Amino acid sequence: MKKIVLTTALLAGVLAHAGGFRVSLQGVKQLAMAHTSAHAEDASVTFFNPAGMSFIPSKLSVAAGGFGAKSIVTYQNLSTLESYETNNPLGTPVYAAIAYKVLDNVSVGFNLSTPFGSTIEWPSDWAGREIVQRLELKAFYFQPMISFKLAPWASVGGSYIYAKGSVNWDKAVTQLGGTLNLTDDKASGSGFGIGFYFQPDEKWDISIAYRSPIDMEAKNGKVSFDISPALYPSLGLDAAGTDSFKATLPLVNEYTVGVTYKVTPKWLVSADFNYSGWDRYSQLTLDFANAPIGNQPNDPTVLVSPKNFKSTQTWRVGTQYKINDMIAARAGYYYDQSPYTDENFQAETPSFDSNVITAGLGFNIAKGFGVDVAGAIALPKSRDVKNSFNNFFGQAKAKAYYFGLGLSYNVF
Amino acid sequence: MKKILISTIAVSALFFTISCETDFDTDVSSIQVTNGEANFSKYVSLGNSLTSGFRDNALYIDGQNDSYPNIMAQQMKLAGGGAFVQPLMADNNGGLILGGTVVQATKLYIKSFTNGAPDIVNVNATPTTNVATKITGSLNNMGIPGAKSFHLITPGYGNIAGVSTGTANPYYARFSSSATSRVLDDAIAQKPTFYSLWIGNNDVLSYATTGGMGTDQKGNTNPATYGPNDISDPAVVAGSIQTILQTFKNSGVTKGVIANIPSVTSIPYFTTVPYNPLTPAALGANLSVLNASLYTTLKQALTAFGAGNRINLLSATATNPVLIKDVSLTNLSAELTLALTPSLGAPTAAAFGQIYGQARQSTPGDYILLPTKSVIGSTVSGAPASINVYGISYPLENQHVLTEAEAAKVKAAVDAYNASIKSLADSYGLAFVDANAKMNELNGLSGIQFDGVKYTAKFVTGGTFSLDGVHLTGRGYAIVANEFLKMINQKYKSTLPMVEVNKYQGVTFPK
Repeated sequence: MKKIVLTTALLAGVLAHAGGFRVSLQGVKQLAMAHTSAHAEDASVTFFNPAGMSFIPSKLSVAAGGFGAKSIVTYQNLSTLESYETNNPLGTPVYAAIAYKVLDNVSVGFNLSTPFGSTIEWPSDWAGREIVQRLELKAFYFQPMISFKLAPWASVGGSYIYAKGSVNWDKAVTQLGGTLNLTDDKASGSGFGIGFYFQPDEKWDISIAYRSPIDMEAKNGKVSFDISPALYPSLGLDAAGTDSFKATLPLVNEYTVGVTYKVTPKWLVSADFNYSGWDRYSQLTLDFANAPIGNQPNDPTVLVSPKNFKSTQTWRVGTQYKINDMIAARAGYYYDQSPYTDENFQAETPSFDSNVITAGLGFNIAKGFGVDVAGAIALPKSRDVKNSFNNFFGQAKAKAYYFGLGLSYNVF
Repeated sequence: MKKILISTIAVSALFFTISCETDFDTDVSSIQVTNGEANFSKYVSLGNSLTSGFRDNALYIDGQNDSYPNIMAQQMKLAGGGAFVQPLMADNNGGLILGGTVVQATKLYIKSFTNGAPDIVNVNATPTTNVATKITGSLNNMGIPGAKSFHLITPGYGNIAGVSTGTANPYYARFSSSATSRVLDDAIAQKPTFYSLWIGNNDVLSYATTGGMGTDQKGNTNPATYGPNDISDPAVVAGSIQTILQTFKNSGVTKGVIANIPSVTSIPYFTTVPYNPLTPAALGANLSVLNASLYTTLKQALTAFGAGNRINLLSATATNPVLIKDVSLTNLSAELTLALTPSLGAPTAAAFGQIYGQARQSTPGDYILLPTKSVIGSTVSGAPASINVYGISYPLENQHVLTEAEAAKVKAAVDAYNASIKSLADSYGLAFVDANAKMNELNGLSGIQFDGVKYTAKFVTGGTFSLDGVHLTGRGYAIVANEFLKMINQKYKSTLPMVEVNKYQGVTFPK
């Protein structure tokens, strides 16, 4: 009865949040259960908590998978009665992980993931084209890690994160009668992750993890203008119409506490709490070498756009039921909150308060070899757009679907 | 136990799926645009160049298509509005010919940039729009470039024979119904159900753009005696507008919109060139030479006559004002000649006296006109070689500068016109557009933002004013159209949608 109360409370009461350009697609098993974290079944746990490696049942575990993410955002303006819809390409986040027990109480692992990214593509003549026509953000996390089993029921782990990313941003420059493209594929940054993982008894798994913030620094970005060449000299552009820029995109820190309770040997229920430090993203500063297309009175080559993101929480609940030795059925639900208010709506990273329903199946094909599928549907709430900095007003809504296919192999 | 838990999850999930509002309350595609209390089936616009779609110092097809009445008419079509026919020009270069002679030049365009500054010239083409080619039939846009308020009610303003003598307007001559017709009557003949009127600008603008070459006719209510660059008497402007409104009312047309006129000194024609454009760098070595040979001499002489504040020495650290001729100053020619004769000799002293008798340095209250930019620093033919540089050693002429005193006359006239326009709008129950406030907003530091694009009244780069510095671009006219539409909706409870300003044409840069 206590569990019923707990579950109901999670679902009905403390609805909460994540969002921004964070992509919660790092494990197919996990996604099927609302992307919860306290699952040490295979190497995919490494993204969520390096300490989880110590509780993977086998000596060597390999996991990899990929997702398809499809979203459509619609913007409409009640004043002009115009309406526009994105034509976003299918997003394809991937992950790969390996974990190996060097000693009984020491595990090492490596995780590759794409925890941040988004591609938004609006019609090139849409109302907000001065803000964005197309924006592609990508970040790869490379994480070597180590975990120590402190006791049969407790472990600690840590990872080093090397992040590599790219940005590719098209937007109109109406006053110059053309468009520009901002690109940098050499942005990088580094950070770390630490975690604790507990199995106090055979019924409970508890995961506590922290991933540090990372500043992705684009040190030598390139801005290319598609405008009249007659304007190049006065903008300080080279003969090809290009200039360089510097920018820093913050990838936020995340605290995660996850719990799994095995109700019966076949049935488990998981819940997660995430806290993401989006309040770091207070503004985006683009510092151009020469082009005076900024907005700072004392330095017209610096463009500062207020973002005013706020930190978010996400509450997740998922479950898995082993129908038999071969097949496991999974389902989950989470509520994702947008990291900004209507007044700070960002057309280049549209974000909504969303209900997300997830489901999936796991197949144990042969000894140690598993195939997992998962799907999710997000039901973002429509919202008002009231960005007075850009004088951009209207309404926005979205639809999003995710599906994933994962493989895992647990050896020895 | 298990079932209870599963069903709890299922029910909760269902509850949230249903309760979350994923769709728009109102989809824009399902919104029906309504005309409210107004009838837009036949909309006729009256006005001057701003109404015609004039820009880049010419009337041409693209500009006409981006005229604010045409922009509005497209929105009115969503609420029962009919076709909007304009007296389209023959080409996109602008300009007019009459009897084989070019009577209006082609439009301006940016040929290139030199050191970041646009090189603005007329399109090198012969106009193909012939004033004598009459446009007949239904016509909705009666905006006539150059028209003053009283011209709309002056018979014969469209008489082709009067074009060359200046008593008639070539643009109206193209579509006037007869040699004696009035613009107003031709508008009434279209049987409008709704009208817009934006007039009065030219009653003061040509005085300002010519640096005050005309006369302030305040008190003279007979426009037949006015010169082309005079300031119309406010009573003439108010009377003309009232006649127009009353005539519409008498013919049963009671619904429309009227706009006041922008303070002319909020436009780039007056605000682009600063009063103090002479940098120490530009003056170079001449700075000390000028101070020693000219400015000191003048200042000493003028000080003796109590007018020492007319000239100060040039600064080597700050930007310097230009020399101008201010006809409102007491003419000290004779005094100067007398004072300078001992040191300069009689002939030179006489020349100095004549040139600098009403000279002074410009002050922040003076407006240097946009075309004057190319005059400053140019050589004055016929002047003594040592003092023949315009604005630096030789005063700019009256037509180059709108002085503070002249600007005050302009402001007084605009204020008087606008007071009348507002009270007429109220007494005739018309929608009222405060165009003056909108232009001031545009001219302010923060400008006007629309969907991420910042618009200001800055010349070329502000995006709203065309290359003549007086008329708007398509985007500027779209901002104006939105203001009109907003006020029409407010007055007549219609729901005409606004337009996306950024969709219209801005300043065109060379390819």
